[in-house]
Amino acid sequence: MSTRHAGTAISTDRAKRPPLARPRHRARLRLAGVLAALCVSALGACSSVTYEPTALPTKVTPKPSPSTSGTPAPACSNATQSYDPLGSIPTRSEISDAKVNKILKRGYLIVGVSADTYLFGARDPFTSQITGFDIDMAKAVATSLFGSPKLQPRVITAAERFPLLQDGSLDMVARNMTMTCDRWTKIGFSAEYYRAGQKVLISKSLLKTNKDAASWGLADLTGKRVCAPTGTTSLTKLQSVEGPIPVTASNHTGCLVLLQQGKVDAITGDDIVLAGLAAQDPNTLITSAKAITVEPYGLGFNKDDVYLIRYVNRALADLVADGQWKAIYNRWLAERIGPAPAPPTPVYGR
Amino acid sequence: MTSAPTSRPTTNIPVAIPAGAPSGAPAPGTGPRTIAGSIPGARSIASRLLHGTPGRMRLYMALGVVAAIVLGAVSANALLSSQAAVERAANNTAQVVRAQSIHVDLLRADAVATNAFLIGGLETPESRTRYQDAMSRVATGVAEAAAAQPADGAALGALSQQVQTYAALVEQARTNNRLGLPVGAQYLTQASAGLRADAIPIIDAVVAANEQRARDEFDRSNSSLQLAVGLLALIGIVAIAVWLARRTHRYLNGRLTGAIVLLLVALVFTLVQVAGVGSATRAVADGDFGQTVTLAEATTSANDARANESLTLIRRGSGQANEKSWQADDTAVRAALAEVTDSSPLTSQWSDYATVHAEVRQLDDNGQWDKAVAMSTDPSMKGSDGTFTAFDTAVTQARDAAGKAAVERLDGLARTAPIAALAVALAALLAAWLVVRGIGQRIEEYR
Repeated sequence: MSTRHAGTAISTDRAKRPPLARPRHRARLRLAGVLAALCVSALGACSSVTYEPTALPTKVTPKPSPSTSGTPAPACSNATQSYDPLGSIPTRSEISDAKVNKILKRGYLIVGVSADTYLFGARDPFTSQITGFDIDMAKAVATSLFGSPKLQPRVITAAERFPLLQDGSLDMVARNMTMTCDRWTKIGFSAEYYRAGQKVLISKSLLKTNKDAASWGLADLTGKRVCAPTGTTSLTKLQSVEGPIPVTASNHTGCLVLLQQGKVDAITGDDIVLAGLAAQDPNTLITSAKAITVEPYGLGFNKDDVYLIRYVNRALADLVADGQWKAIYNRWLAERIGPAPAPPTPVYGR
Repeated sequence: MTSAPTSRPTTNIPVAIPAGAPSGAPAPGTGPRTIAGSIPGARSIASRLLHGTPGRMRLYMALGVVAAIVLGAVSANALLSSQAAVERAANNTAQVVRAQSIHVDLLRADAVATNAFLIGGLETPESRTRYQDAMSRVATGVAEAAAAQPADGAALGALSQQVQTYAALVEQARTNNRLGLPVGAQYLTQASAGLRADAIPIIDAVVAANEQRARDEFDRSNSSLQLAVGLLALIGIVAIAVWLARRTHRYLNGRLTGAIVLLLVALVFTLVQVAGVGSATRAVADGDFGQTVTLAEATTSANDARANESLTLIRRGSGQANEKSWQADDTAVRAALAEVTDSSPLTSQWSDYATVHAEVRQLDDNGQWDKAVAMSTDPSMKGSDGTFTAFDTAVTQARDAAGKAAVERLDGLARTAPIAALAVALAALLAAWLVVRGIGQRIEEYR
C-alpha cells in the first residue's frame, strides 16, 4: 500500500486477499490480463483519426447585381415609322417571297413571346397555355396566314429577342417590345400596335416612411433599389436617371420576386406590365407620377423580312378596321386600365 | 513456490527493478521501499547488478522483456488500427451513401415539382405525396449525416439552409400557382436554379470528402509497415538467445525458445490477419463500395435528366440549355451503368425512357407542345413518367442493396480484431515472462 513501485495493483490486491493455494500465479495472470487490456485500449486510443471539416464550395457572386453604365438611345424622329402595308392580303399563289413561303410550307408561325408578363403574354397556371394581348396579336397574324391560329410560341427573355430574330430562329416577336431607332438598326418592326409609357411600381412599405411616395417618379427614388429587366428600354432609362440604384433581373416577374423578397424597393417598366405585376401582389402600388417615356410597341421581325412586315402591317390595319383590335384590348386590359382608347395611328413610308 | 523470499536468493529480488513489472513484484516481507531510501544505494546496486557476466545477463533479460512487449504492442496495434480503419471506412462509406441519397431525393423532389407544374392546374395528390416524401427523406438524411460525421457538420448546416430556401421557394411557387399568378413560375425557376447552383455543390463536396476519407481508410487498413518493428524485436531476442547459448554452453533453453516460438507465432498470425483484412477491404472498395458509388451516380444523373426534360418543356422552345444538360445526364447514366455488374436490365429500362424522351423532344420540336407534355407526364409505360419511374425504382433498389452489402461486409471484417489483439498481447506478455524465467535460470546456474 505504501509501495510506490510498479505493480501497485498487485500489492494492494495481495494485501486484501488472504493467501490462497497459488496466489502468485493468479496474481501474475491477473496482472498480465490488466496490462494486456491496458495496452490494447491505449493503442486503440492512439490510432484514432480526426478529419478536416468538409470544405464548402466557394460561392459565386450573388444575385441581384447592381448594374451600371447605360447607353442612351440615339435621338431620331421616325422610330414608329414602318413599311407600307400590302394593298390587300394576298392569296397563297400570289406570294413569291421566300420567307413567307417557307413559313406557309412549315404550317405554323414561330413567335417569340413572354410567359410571365401578366395580361400581355403569360402562362395560365390552370391550363398551362400562354395567353394575353400579345399572344392574341400573334394569333391574329397566324390566322391571317393559315386561316387558323397555328403558332408555336417560344418563350424568350427580353435580351434574347434580337439574336433569335437575327439568326432566323424566330419568325416574329410579340413581346411588349418598344420601337426605337437603335433597334431599327438590328431588326425590323411592324407598325405600332400599342402605346405604353414607363412608370414606377413601389412596395407599399415605402409609404410608411414617406407619405409622398405614392406620387414618386424615378428621380424621387434617391438611394432606393429599383429593378428593371436586362435588355429593356426601361433599364436604359433607369440607368440614365441620377439617384436610384439600378438592379437587374431576367424579366419583370423576376423583379417582382426580388421585391417580394425585400431585395428591391421599386420596379420600373411599362405601365401595362406594371399593372400586370400589381395585379399579382396587393402590397404594391403604381405611383401616380406621369409616364416618363412613350413606349410604342411593335411586332419584331428579321431586318430582311420586309415583305413579311408589309404583310403583317396589312393584317394589323385590317384588325383595327374590323374592330378586333378593340375586342382584344378589352378582353385583356379593360378590367385593369379602362376600356380601349383609339388605337395608335400607324406611320408608314419607311 | 509459495514463499518467494526463501526459495530465491535475496540478490534476485532487485533484478525486478530494471526489468519492470512482470516478475518484479516485491515479495511481502521485504518491507516498504521508498525512493528516498533507495537513492543512496541505487547507483551501487546498479553497478553491482550489471557487473560481470550475470550483470550482462540481467541487462539482456531486461532488453528481452522490452523486445517481447514491443512486439506484442506493435502487433496488437496493427490489428487494432486496421480494425479501426475498417470501421471508419464502413462509417465513411455509409456517409457517402447517405449524402448521395440526399442528392437523389433533392433532385427527385425537383423533378416531381417541375413535372407537376408542367401539367398545369392543381398537382395530383400522388405527386404532392412524392414531393413531400422526398423532402422528408432529405430532412432526416441531413440530420443523420450530421450526427454520423462531425467533420461534415458545417457543410451540412449550409446545406440545410439551402434546402430550407428551396422548400420555401417551391411553396411560394405553389401558392401563387393556386392563385393563378404567373409569378409562381418565376419562384419555381428560382427554386430549381438555386438548388443546382447552391445546394447540389455542397452535397457534391460532402460526397467527395467522404469518398476520399473512405479510400484513405481502405489504404490505411492494410498498412503492415509497423510490423517491421516487431520483426526487429524478434531478431533481437533471437540474438540474445544465441549470445546466452554461447556464453553458457547450454544450447537449449526451453523457456527462452518457447518465448521465441510464441512471439514468432504472434507475429505471423498478426501479419496474416492484417493482410487478410487489407485484401478483403480492397475487395469491398472495388466491389460493393465502387458499385454503390457508381449506381448512385447513375441515379442522380437520371433524376437530373428527368427534371431537365420538364424544364425544357416549361421553357417552351428556349430550353436548349436544359436539353443539352439532359444529353449530358444521359451520357453519364450510360457510362455509370456500363461499370456496374449485371446492369443489363437497368440499361434496357433506361433505354426505354430515353426512347420516350426522344419522342417527346420530336413532338415539341415539331410544334406539338401539348402532345409532348401529355407524353412527358404520362404515368403509363408509354410515357416519360412511367418509364422513368420504373428505372428510378430499380436503380435505387440496386444502389441501396450494394450500399448495405458494402457496410455489412466491412463491419463483419472488423468484428474479430479486438479478440485477436488481446490474444497477441497476452502471448507477448507470456513470452516476456518466459524470457525472465529462461534467462533467470541461467543467472542462477551461473552463480
